[in-house]
Amino acid sequence: MNQIRINRRQAIAGIGATALASTIRPVWAQSVAPITIVINQSPWFDSFSKTVQAYEAETGNKVELDVNPFAGSLEKQRNSVRAAAGTYDILIMNSGWFAEMYFGGFVTAISDIDPGFQLDPDLFTLANSIYFDPASKTMAPSGKLMSMPIQPNLPMLYYRGDLYKEKGLKVVETFDDLFNNAKALNSPPDVYGIVQRGARGAYTVSYDFFPYLFGMGGGIYKDPVAGDYSLTLNNDVGREALDYYIRLAKDAGHPKTAAMDQAEVIQALVTGHAAHASVVIAAWSQMDDPEKSIVVDKMEFAPTPHAPGLPPGPALGHWLGGISHNVPDERKRAAVEFFRWFQRPEAQMVNAKAGGIPLNAAVYNDPMTEERQFRWMKPLAAALPHAVNPFAFPEASEVISVLELGLNRSIAGEISSVDALNSMSDEIEAIMAKHAYKTGKGAPLG
Amino acid sequence: MNAKLDRTAARTADRNASPGSDTLWKWLTFSPAFAFMLLFSALPLINLVATSFQNVTWTGGQADHSAAGLSHYLALPADVLFRAGLVNTIIFAFVAVGGQAVLGLALALFTTKVTRGRTIYRAIFILPILIPGIVIGAIWKLMLNFDFGLVNKLLGAIAIAPHDWLGGSDTALLSVIAVDIWHWTPFCFLLFLAGLESLPQDVFEAANMDGANAWQEFIYVTLPLMIPTIVVTCAFRLVLAFKVFDEVYLLTGGGPGTSTEVISFTLYQRFFTEDQLGYGSAMSVAVIFIVSLLLVFAISAGRRFEGAAK
Repeated sequence: MNQIRINRRQAIAGIGATALASTIRPVWAQSVAPITIVINQSPWFDSFSKTVQAYEAETGNKVELDVNPFAGSLEKQRNSVRAAAGTYDILIMNSGWFAEMYFGGFVTAISDIDPGFQLDPDLFTLANSIYFDPASKTMAPSGKLMSMPIQPNLPMLYYRGDLYKEKGLKVVETFDDLFNNAKALNSPPDVYGIVQRGARGAYTVSYDFFPYLFGMGGGIYKDPVAGDYSLTLNNDVGREALDYYIRLAKDAGHPKTAAMDQAEVIQALVTGHAAHASVVIAAWSQMDDPEKSIVVDKMEFAPTPHAPGLPPGPALGHWLGGISHNVPDERKRAAVEFFRWFQRPEAQMVNAKAGGIPLNAAVYNDPMTEERQFRWMKPLAAALPHAVNPFAFPEASEVISVLELGLNRSIAGEISSVDALNSMSDEIEAIMAKHAYKTGKGAPLG
Repeated sequence: MNAKLDRTAARTADRNASPGSDTLWKWLTFSPAFAFMLLFSALPLINLVATSFQNVTWTGGQADHSAAGLSHYLALPADVLFRAGLVNTIIFAFVAVGGQAVLGLALALFTTKVTRGRTIYRAIFILPILIPGIVIGAIWKLMLNFDFGLVNKLLGAIAIAPHDWLGGSDTALLSVIAVDIWHWTPFCFLLFLAGLESLPQDVFEAANMDGANAWQEFIYVTLPLMIPTIVVTCAFRLVLAFKVFDEVYLLTGGGPGTSTEVISFTLYQRFFTEDQLGYGSAMSVAVIFIVSLLLVFAISAGRRFEGAAK
């Protein structure tokens, strides 16, 4: 038998080559400092966590996740960015407060940390909310690249496809379709035609109300993109939207709509007690989870309804990743490396398969969208171009607080829809005036 | 004895001879405690009051303080949440504490009267106060759930329709009060039990010899003797009840509408959620003032009651 003999020099060269090969990383995966991400506990958290694990496995870089309740995450982020030295490197910011971080100078632009950073051309920019021009205080592609989209959360209409088949119903497009279908399937207490959020919270009932308001052609402000924050909430469209929301709850909804929060709405869906619900798409994976749901493979998805001739108006409840201004440059660069990996189609595929919502359009063109498990992707892709960013200013939390109270009071029957809309408009106008925005209000609803 | 008196006289003479060194020594030993109190009590309060006259905004990652004068204080009466919170908190505090006092006293009287199993009763009665607030919120949120809560299930067993206890404007505040009574009655029970067990027994013996029945004994003997304990307990509980937050946060979030809005929750929203630091500080100062007034009122009312009972 021939034996292969290896001399000492060859052996050392071979060992050295192996060691060298093990240190070579893909171009996008530089070896960087460990980073900490502050994030909230949401329906999509599991998928993000698994995506981060995939990043760590592929690159060897370390990421720690600091997980908090929704409101708790905002508090932690504020405390961190206002300190002399920040605790968190990446802030996962909700649509309700990312503007506060931009305007306050609390996040460093990605383009400032790495001027050569290239955004993936297929990445959703979510109403250009990832950009910000500090001079003009606007969000447009001409500004700096401030953040990375993390979750393009939109409300979608979840509906029981099996019940639709039984009753021969067609997929909802307009608000009349939704009302009729919800009434047809309403059989309390076993099944409610629709379950809606009505509880006051950090960003609860107002978020669920927006698709109705925007889908009917209404809005809170006259022209926020142009900087005109004159109130249009208390006009006929606003009234029609709120009256519809209340009538739907009363005639085909849950009797305790005024106390329903997101967890309870999702619970109603997965326990088979809701025929329809408008819920963030991030909750889709719970519908098909046999450990949580008795409606596995029965839930279908559609864009939120709209008035005839108008597009749907789902409000962005998205999440963006910003890099803290007060952390060492080394960690800022590490955060950029994470973003560089995260935006790639391959990483977004991991995100989708883990139950998340991909941010890269390439994933929506992939054959995986034909799989039954990902039946929500096409409706989401149809809805995304119509997504509305309701708040592009830092005082959003004050306005949201007014909306939460007013909407909850009217849904609870404490005040009429007219009184709610008028009082909300008055208070919001006062807030905008206090902060020196161009604002005003029309005649109150009669 | 004479030696002891001589030593005392000598010490007094020394003190009279150098009063300055004695005073200095007193200040030296007192100053660490004083500094601690200044640092952790007075300074934060001064900072809070100062911030209440300012607007705080953020630019370039830095805080920008500007004068706001009295504008924050003047805005308080117009704040819908503040008004609702104040009214609800007053109702909550007095009804909840009243319920806790009555129940606590009843349980304490019962415990003193039983001859067997007193330790077991005491252990059972104090259980609610041992449970963490967040667990209490979880327990009662489940119990009062409209669809599957135990309360509605029990009502259903006796053919009463389910009710939305936490979601209905008419019952939400009462439900939160009921939870608070369940949670804090053991506190009153413990203090009342200690008070009852320390009462002089010869008074009760004299009452028995005079032929007083149980009710007369309670009205004319027990209650008057217990007034100092009741006043202190109720005053303590009133101050704590005025600061209620966790039960409201966990059970109702202040809703539906403003029916369970309490002042602490309003403060939390304005100061923390909405980041209105100046306005939130003004609200905090107003709440401190109101609670102090309440405490003074409660104590003086208690003293008047005590005097009338004597």
